[in-house]
Amino acid sequence: MDRDALLGLESLNQLALTPEEQDEMLAFFAAREADWESLAQVDTANVERMVHVRPMVNVLREDVPSQPFSREDLLAQAPESMDGYWQVPRVLQ
Amino acid sequence: MSENTLFITENSCKKTEGGFDIGLDDLVLTQDAATSAGSKMLAGFKSLFEARIVERLREAGYDIAGKVNIGEFGFDFLGESSYFGPVIDADGHLVTATAKLLGDSSVDAVVGLDVNGAQARAASLSGQVHLKPTYGCVSRFGTVAIACSGETVDITARSTKDVQQVLDVLAGHDDADGTSLPASECARLTTAGFAEAVGAGEAFAAPITHVKVARGLMNSADADTKQLMEAAIQTLSSEGIGVTDTASETDDLFAVANLAWNILMCAELCNNVNRFEGMKYGYHTEKYQTIDELYTKSRTEAFGYLTKVAILYGSEVLATGNYERCYDKALRIRRLVSEAFASEFAQGASAGNAAGQTAILLPACAKRAYSLADVEANPYLAFEENRFTAPAAITGLPALTAGGVQLVGPAFSDVALLRLADILTADCAGKEA
Repeated sequence: MDRDALLGLESLNQLALTPEEQDEMLAFFAAREADWESLAQVDTANVERMVHVRPMVNVLREDVPSQPFSREDLLAQAPESMDGYWQVPRVLQ
Repeated sequence: MSENTLFITENSCKKTEGGFDIGLDDLVLTQDAATSAGSKMLAGFKSLFEARIVERLREAGYDIAGKVNIGEFGFDFLGESSYFGPVIDADGHLVTATAKLLGDSSVDAVVGLDVNGAQARAASLSGQVHLKPTYGCVSRFGTVAIACSGETVDITARSTKDVQQVLDVLAGHDDADGTSLPASECARLTTAGFAEAVGAGEAFAAPITHVKVARGLMNSADADTKQLMEAAIQTLSSEGIGVTDTASETDDLFAVANLAWNILMCAELCNNVNRFEGMKYGYHTEKYQTIDELYTKSRTEAFGYLTKVAILYGSEVLATGNYERCYDKALRIRRLVSEAFASEFAQGASAGNAAGQTAILLPACAKRAYSLADVEANPYLAFEENRFTAPAAITGLPALTAGGVQLVGPAFSDVALLRLADILTADCAGKEA
């Protein structure tokens, strides 16, 4: 991981680190290389991936329309609202 | 922010006469109080609905004392990353708000979300009891999702009896939680369900008669912690519990379990906190020109450093070129750790204790006290000292911290673990008296 790659990662994740934070982050990533090397030493050639810790089955149910929350409750979550709608920043010039 | 914020919001019902008051950590959604997840991003956020566990507690007549301060998104070391500040005890030690409130008898139990072992460490340092139940037996519906494949609702209290009392209310199937196990399996964690299983001779209800010491992890702790472990071994032995060591192959896998867990936890965290972009929830920056700038400035200003580390690490381990050797590898190591546990549990049972179950004994943290200076000197302690809690987190097995040490048992052995821990806590109580 170099500074350019870190900048790309920041952009991807919509973050902007300070130069000091970038230095710390680069040191953190350098230390993780040793972690990955330790993991590489573990033989997993014939080991299946374990995504769920307990056996899981997909649970399906009827798709029934409902109105769990009122318009007023939902608008109360908005930083700003107008005419019964969420008001968001202008994104098209 | 200042130090020693214990409650983010505090209800007037706190410490009702003769009541049993429960604090909820700040990752548990409530309608009557804000849920901030310890983050500036969600400071003041009010949910439209309540977590299933809150509904269960209210229906059972419990008083909710308030929302308890936690580290940002609950995955740090001892709550130090909270937007509302860390908690320091009278001796200058770093503790969690949960441990402080229980120690002060301000609440009788705290229910929250165990993401990365913070409350287990705090309970170990404070002589309290912490249970991370078998994954899938307590609904996570209405908790702020961080690392869904391993996190569970947890309970911290001053005694095993109090933990069981709360567990009796919380354990149960929930259709709203896609990882919730069938009702018959969830009931195994309750007093009534356990008693029924004892009568039926079910394996998970057998007493724990053998303990295997994770010697490799124990030896990575400091002298005081090793002494505490030796005292626990002696106490258990004197009560007729068989004690042997885990196999060296198991120790080797336990040694890398947290490296794998860090990958899975950060990858899941990275995706889960993506929803916090400064628009739909919580904080958004005031000055911006474009929508991209709004997102980036909001996230940069609202997330703490450790969360930024976790987001970027989680993103990196999922990136093309790293996926195979990181994320995919971690999933395969999860299976190996799970199989190592199963092997240890089976070997213990075959070593003359066929009628009983086996648990693994290990520390919950490496030292007996930490200061704020410790986490300032090494902000990544949460990714290093979680080596003691990661084996249970990555496998979903129940883990109980009591008497300063940690016990990990087979799935559904929660009640059996609590009963075994009575030996350890009784010994502590005797020493204090």
